[in-house]
This record gives sequence, C-alpha cells and structure tokens, in this order.
Amino acid sequence: MTSQVIEGGAPSRGRAFLTSFMKNILPAAPLLLIVGFFFLFPITRLIYVSFLSNDNTFTIDNFKTAIQEPYRTGFINSIKIGVFSAAIAAFPGALAAYFIETRGSSKLRRTIAVMSGVLANTGGVPLAFMFYAALGIQGYLTKALKYLGWDLYSGTFSLGSFVGLLIVYLYFQLPLMVIVFSPAIVSLRREWSEAARNLGASQFNYWIRIGIPLLFPSFIASFLLLFASGFSAYATANALTVGNLPLTPLQIGGLLDGNVSAAQLNLGKALGVVMIVISACAVIPYLAIQRRSAKWQKR
Amino acid sequence: MAKALRIKFQPPLAITLLILGFFVFLPMLSAFEYSIRTPLTGGYGWTHYIWAVTEEDFLHYILRSMWLAGVTVLITLFVLVPTMTWLHLSNSKVRGLIDGLSLLPLVIPVVAFAVGAQISFPEFVQNTVLELPFLYFVLALPYAYRSLDIGLNSIPLKTITEAARSAGANWLRTITSVIIPVIRGSVMATIALTFALSLGEYTLTVLLHWDTFPTWVTYVAQDNILGAIAISMMSLIIPFLILTVITLFVPERTIQGRK
Amino acid sequence: MSSKSLSLKNISKRFGNVNALDNFNLEVGVGELVALLGPSGCGKTTALRVVAGLEHQDAGTVLVADKNISDVPAHKRNMGMVFQAYSLFPNLTVEENVAFGLQMRKVSKHLRLKKAHELLDLVGLDSQSKRFTHQLSGGQQQRVALARALAFEPEILLLDEPLSALDAQVRVNLREEIRRLQISLGTTTLFVTHDQEEAMAISDRVGVMNNGVLEQIDTPDALYNKPASSFVASFVGTMNRIPAHISNGMVEIFGSKVVALKRGNESGKVHALIRPESISVVATTTQGNAKVLTRSFMGASSNIICQTADGTIVQSLMTSASTGDLLPGSSVQLRILSSEVLVANV
Ligand SMILES: Nc1ncnc2c1ncn2[C@@H]1O[C@H](COP(=O)(O)OP(=O)(O)OP(=O)(O)O)[C@@H](O)[C@H]1O
Ligand SMILES: [Mg+2]
Repeated sequence: MTSQVIEGGAPSRGRAFLTSFMKNILPAAPLLLIVGFFFLFPITRLIYVSFLSNDNTFTIDNFKTAIQEPYRTGFINSIKIGVFSAAIAAFPGALAAYFIETRGSSKLRRTIAVMSGVLANTGGVPLAFMFYAALGIQGYLTKALKYLGWDLYSGTFSLGSFVGLLIVYLYFQLPLMVIVFSPAIVSLRREWSEAARNLGASQFNYWIRIGIPLLFPSFIASFLLLFASGFSAYATANALTVGNLPLTPLQIGGLLDGNVSAAQLNLGKALGVVMIVISACAVIPYLAIQRRSAKWQKR
Repeated sequence: MAKALRIKFQPPLAITLLILGFFVFLPMLSAFEYSIRTPLTGGYGWTHYIWAVTEEDFLHYILRSMWLAGVTVLITLFVLVPTMTWLHLSNSKVRGLIDGLSLLPLVIPVVAFAVGAQISFPEFVQNTVLELPFLYFVLALPYAYRSLDIGLNSIPLKTITEAARSAGANWLRTITSVIIPVIRGSVMATIALTFALSLGEYTLTVLLHWDTFPTWVTYVAQDNILGAIAISMMSLIIPFLILTVITLFVPERTIQGRK
Repeated sequence: MSSKSLSLKNISKRFGNVNALDNFNLEVGVGELVALLGPSGCGKTTALRVVAGLEHQDAGTVLVADKNISDVPAHKRNMGMVFQAYSLFPNLTVEENVAFGLQMRKVSKHLRLKKAHELLDLVGLDSQSKRFTHQLSGGQQQRVALARALAFEPEILLLDEPLSALDAQVRVNLREEIRRLQISLGTTTLFVTHDQEEAMAISDRVGVMNNGVLEQIDTPDALYNKPASSFVASFVGTMNRIPAHISNGMVEIFGSKVVALKRGNESGKVHALIRPESISVVATTTQGNAKVLTRSFMGASSNIICQTADGTIVQSLMTSASTGDLLPGSSVQLRILSSEVLVANV
C-alpha cells in the first residue's frame, strides 16, 4: 500500500497535497499556531476593531479623533522623544561599542554583553528610583552640581519633564545601541584596515573611504531601532510623569485602564494602530538594511 | 594572572568605560544608598531588604515571575529550537515566512500589542496567567530567533544530522542529544535572553492586569518607598546574577557571533 | 620599473612566549620571486607582515634598496600585498578597489582609472570592473586583489598564501598567471605558501622556514637535490629514510655500496635519505629483498610501495610502462639508482 505511493504510481491530488503538507508545513505548525494565535490574531483584531464605532459599524472616526488634540501632541512628543533619545544615544553608543569590541579582552566583551542585556531592559519604577536618587531634588548628582554652582532645579526642570525623561531614557538607549551596533563592528575585517594601510591610506583615509561607509548603514539601522524603542517606551514614562507630559503610550494605557474616559470606545485601538504604523516606518527600513549588509557581513 | 595584567593599557577604552560606568553606576549606587538607609537610627542597615524578603508577597511574586519565565524558556526550547533546526535542514518553503514573522514583533509597540491582546483572547485564556509566557515568548522571538540562527548557521548541520541518523538516532534523539549540545552556546544565550526579558516584563503584564514581581514593586512604592527601592535594587541584581551564571556556561565565541 | 631589492637582517619577533621570528635573515634581489615555505606556525606570515610594516620587529632591520625602512609606517612603504582572502573593500567596485592605491597617492581620477583598467585587463577581468566584489568568485576576487596590489607600481610585492582558499584547478592557473605578470612587470616578490609544489613551480628561489629560522634558501632544483638539513630533505618532496650503516664514507643499501654525502659528523647507524625516483623495483622469481604492498597508477608514472625484509617501508616512483608485473604481494628486488646518498643521524 504505502510502497505504491512512494514508487510513484499516480497518487491522488488530495494525497499529494497531504504529503506535501506533512513534509513542508506540519513540523512548523506548533510555532505557527503560537505566533498566529498569540500575535497575528490580536494584532489583526486590533486593526479590525479600530475601524468600529461604538455600535460596531464601520467608521474612520476613531482615527480622526486620534490625530486631533490632545492625542496629536502625544504623538508629536512621543516622536520627539524617540528621535532625540536615539540621536543622543547613537553616536556615543556606537563609539563605546567600537572601543569595547576592538580594544576589549574577550572577558570584558562578555561582561559588557550581559550588562547591556540587563540595562537595556531596565525601566519603570526601578529606573525611576535610580534617577530620583541621583537627579531628583535631593539627588546626589543634583547636590554635587549645585555645589559646583549649577542649580538644576532653578528653572522648570524635573525628571518628569521632556528633558528629564530624555536623560532617563538614555539609560536603556545607550546599552541598546551597544547591543545592536556591536555586530557591525565585529564584521569589520582586520584585512580591510590592513589592506588600506598597505595601499597607502592613513588612518584618517581608511575611515573616510572604507570604515565609515561600511558602518554607516548599520548605524542608521541602529538609530531607527532606537527610535522605535524610545517612541514606544511605556513603563518609565508611566513611573516618572504625572500627566504633565502627553505621550501616546501613556494615553493608550489610560484609555485601556479606564482611567480616562473617551466618547469613542475604540479610540485606544486606533491610537495603537497609528503607533504601529509609525514604528513600522522605522523598523522596516532597519530590517531591510540589516538584510542588505548581511551580504558582506557573512564570512 | 600575570598574563591578564600584561594586557596593554588602552586609554580610549579606559575613558569609554569610565564614562559609561559613571552613567550606569551613579544612579544605581545612589538608589542603593537610599535602600540601606535606616531613618529611625539615622545610620545604615539591611532593614528594608529584610523587610522585603520577609514580606509574604515577596516570595509569592518572585516565585511566580520565575516560573512564568521558566515556562517561556520551555516554550522556546520545545517549540522554537526544534522548529528552527528543522527549517535549517529541510529548506522548507515556510522558512521565508517564519523568518519574516519572527521579526514582526519588533514593529509592534508593546502597548499596542497589549491592547490587541486584551480584546482578542477568549475568556479561558484571559483567565489564566499562563497566557503570559506565550506573550513573553512572542516579545522575545526576534532576539531568540536571531541568536539561534547564528548558532545554527555556524555548524555543518547537514553533516552532523546525517551522521547521527545513520548511527541510528531518530529525529527527536538527533535534536536533543546531538544538535542542541553542539549549539549549546547559542541555546544558552537564547535562554538567558528569554529568561531576562520575561522576568523584567512590565508593560504588557500591567496592562493586562496581572501581578508579577515587576508590577508588585509599583504597588509597594505606594506606601513604603524605601522598601520599594530595596526591591527595585533586587529586581536589577537578580536577573544580572542569573544571566551571569547562565552565560558562564556559554563557550566564549558564541555570544557575539564569530570573530 | 621601480622594483627594488629587499633584505631582512637579524629580525626577531616574539608574541608572548612564541618566537615567531628568531634572528631571521633573507635577501631578495631586484625582480626576483622568492617563496617562503614551511609548516604552519613557522613564522612565514609574520616575516611578510614585518616587511609590510603591519607588524614591528623586536630587533633587526628591514632594508629596501639598502635603505633602512624599519621606522617607516606601513602606509608610507611602497609595497603591494595580497592577503589570503576577503581583503577587497566591499563598498567599492572592482575598479575602485584597484584604483585605491593610486587614489591614496593623489593620482588624478582619469589616470588612475586608466591604470586600473590596464591591470584588470592583465588579469583578464576588465569586463567585471563595475561589479561589486561579493559578486565575484573566489578566484576572481584574488585576481582583483593582485591587480590592486600591483596598480600603484610597488617596489615590492608581498603575497600571503593568495591561492590557499581556491580550488586546485584555479590555483594552478592563477599561480602561472602570477608568475607571468611578475616576470613581465619585473616586480621583486616575496611569496608565502605552505604548498611546496606551488613554491617550486613559480619561484626563482625557495626559502624553507622552520620555527622562525630560515633553514635553507636555494633554487627549487638545489633544494630538492641538495637539501641542507634533514628537515629540508623531508619537508621538500617525498624522502625515503632507510636504515643503513656508514663505514669508510660509504653506506650499503639494497646490497650496493654508495657514497655517503655527510653534512656533519654522521657515523655508525644512520638513515640514508633517498628519493622515490632513485629506487627501482624489479620483479624476481627468486627470493627478492622486498615485497610489493601497493601499486598506484598515476598516468605516466606509478607509485610502488614495498616493504623490505626488516620491515622498512620504501616508496618508489617509476614509469608506468615498467611496472606491469608488480602485483601486490609479489617478491621484488629493490635497487638504488644513484651513486651517492644523503645521510642523517638516526
Ligand atoms: N598576533 C599574534 N599574537 C600572538 N601570536 C601570534 C600572532 N601572530 C602570530 N603569532 C604566533 O607566531 C607564530 C608564527 O605565526 P605565523 O602567522 O607567522 O605563522 P605562519 O607560518 O604564517 O603559519 P600558517 O602557515 O599557519 O599561516 C605562531 O606560533 C603564531 O601562533
Ligand atoms: Mg600564515
């Protein structure tokens, strides 16, 4: 019976489909089911529901509201904090990654890898505490700066303000930059700098003609990922601000908790969808660049 | 020992580490100082740590976070690792699809994901805390996938598998006793990563109204600030220790790919 | 051309407690191609890198045309180098890669592209000049690397196992190409390899290295026929080591007495060092002095492996025509064809 199928005969269409299914898809079924049910399904449903009015008819009113005040300011602030925190963290983070990867011992590199992993995941109340202790009104650094003649709190500064939040965000953005940029540095081959020197290039010329052009795509890619991370950070903003700084993630959280009431039940979903669209604008180029530069990163 | 000391002194590296160290440790140490203050005596002591660990909820929540993280790791080990091994071996058509899917969670802000999760799952899923490990698994997927991919790409998978199969091992045994040991470096790195992410996840957990160790800190902070700071310090140190222990078992080269 | 002579005097280089180069001396004449040959880790690459200035020696001097260049930084030494693999710049096209050295020397764009095309033409890749390097095969990449190293007319060309990542067929073609180019351009060349056939095939002289020391440097012919040490003798080509006894400057091998070429105070029990082609195997009907173990046919010649009565394995290389009756297991008579043999202490 079975041998008949294998020997070729002429298995029926259904059967051919079944064998092909068993061979090509079945082993991946558990993963596909999990990702489908716990990820694709909620996201699809989110998008679907965001187009529903309170009495479940199709509408784009949720989106109309989502791009008006106060949500408009929320988006602008969130984009701003994403861009600024990424811009400030990207260059120092890249430089740090460079020195650590090229000059550090393997022990140091491993330690930094572990530490960056933990630090890039800090946030929320613990991170808020650390910065209250250092940069709060009674913080150590605040006192030290005051002693040196710079009173941080003489103006409008607070940790819950835009600038305050920006500083706190750097605490996880810098390690994140180290994590995502390090592979690019590792992929710079020693042969390239040696060949360049051998061909008559000074250190400066090597960086201008070879090193920087090779690192640049990864740098932009890392910047985009950092933007997405700063743009969508929730826990830390939630712990530090007290409603004084409108940010989209907080607005969504408020709508979800029922702390804020909105006339439109599905407004939060529409805000979520707009966030996804903005985030996708950053992450998709990131992924595309990664894929492209993987070509010469392969060895 | 003497060898380690002979490593050349590197000014740029030293300056980098100094600045980074300052930025990382100043807030941490400041908070630590707060956490060991004893306002009653005006001195220092472990009062708040002792208070925290003797609190009934402490053990409850830390154990809960640990086993949720443990389940996430199990899903990674029993679903992701075999599937990826199979994908690398079979050149199946779904590989491209799964490649793309695995990166998709990077695109979705966690807040948006939380909203989607809240309105989608049937009641029996929403009522069990076991939904969390699956969601954590999704959040960790882009990183876990990449780290396993590096490991699987670095070994002659086909040859190893054919050798094991011709020696009489079935598929399951081939994966568990041949392939996993060979790529244990990147498996360990993946476990470390998944575990750390699950242990510290806050946004999704709190928006879905679950209580775990990270959300408990917020709750404690409402009436015992110093105690909450002590717990916060532990919530930083515990994953750090666990990660260090796990990565100690990782062979040198696999963490950052190959040099 | 602008080719110059190269000389390394008493170079020493240590890495930790490894002596990569130990009082190393080497002279390469103008327009000469010298190959450095030796086992892995013997210091070949280190020697080349010291010449290029990518590594600085602990002691000794590097002279180019009798001028000490030890303190000249790598990018000011006028030397072209080809690395083992992967050294092409991935962000530049083939022609930009080749023109890079001239660009660094501030040659105008027009002239440097002209020169780049000239060299690409020489290595047969002019049609690929607009491509990026990851679109080329391994052999093509190494051709581009060669063109790049030659484009700025270096005083000295340095090659570090440029062929080792390539297939056998490509290796043979490319090594001939390197030699042809080197002769036509007259560039002084130092070529590192651990493939002795490669070294022998294209070099004017071959230097054999061991443990950071140059054991012998000579023409391929002399190296093969008059090895200066037992190490060189066994490293270059195949060498039979047959136990023998010296008396009055003669050794007896397979029943005939031949002159022993002594290099030191070898005496008493020694090994006679004999090339496979200096041993003939003849089938006998009587009790011979050895038995055939295997015979492998290699076209015009065949490789016969025999075992003598005392257990020594002997390899012989003969024209295939005369080996028809040498079946495995058959009794044979071994004879030595040369009248002198090298000897080495046991
Ligand atoms: N940067 C370095 N650090 C430490 N040791 C080194 C370094 N470079 C070379 N060595 C050591 O110096 C010795 C000579 O190395 P070298 O690379 O010159 O060998 P080689 O003859 O080129 O070998 P191969 O044929 O394998 O390329 C080796 O023992 C090697 O381990
Ligand atoms: Mg070498």
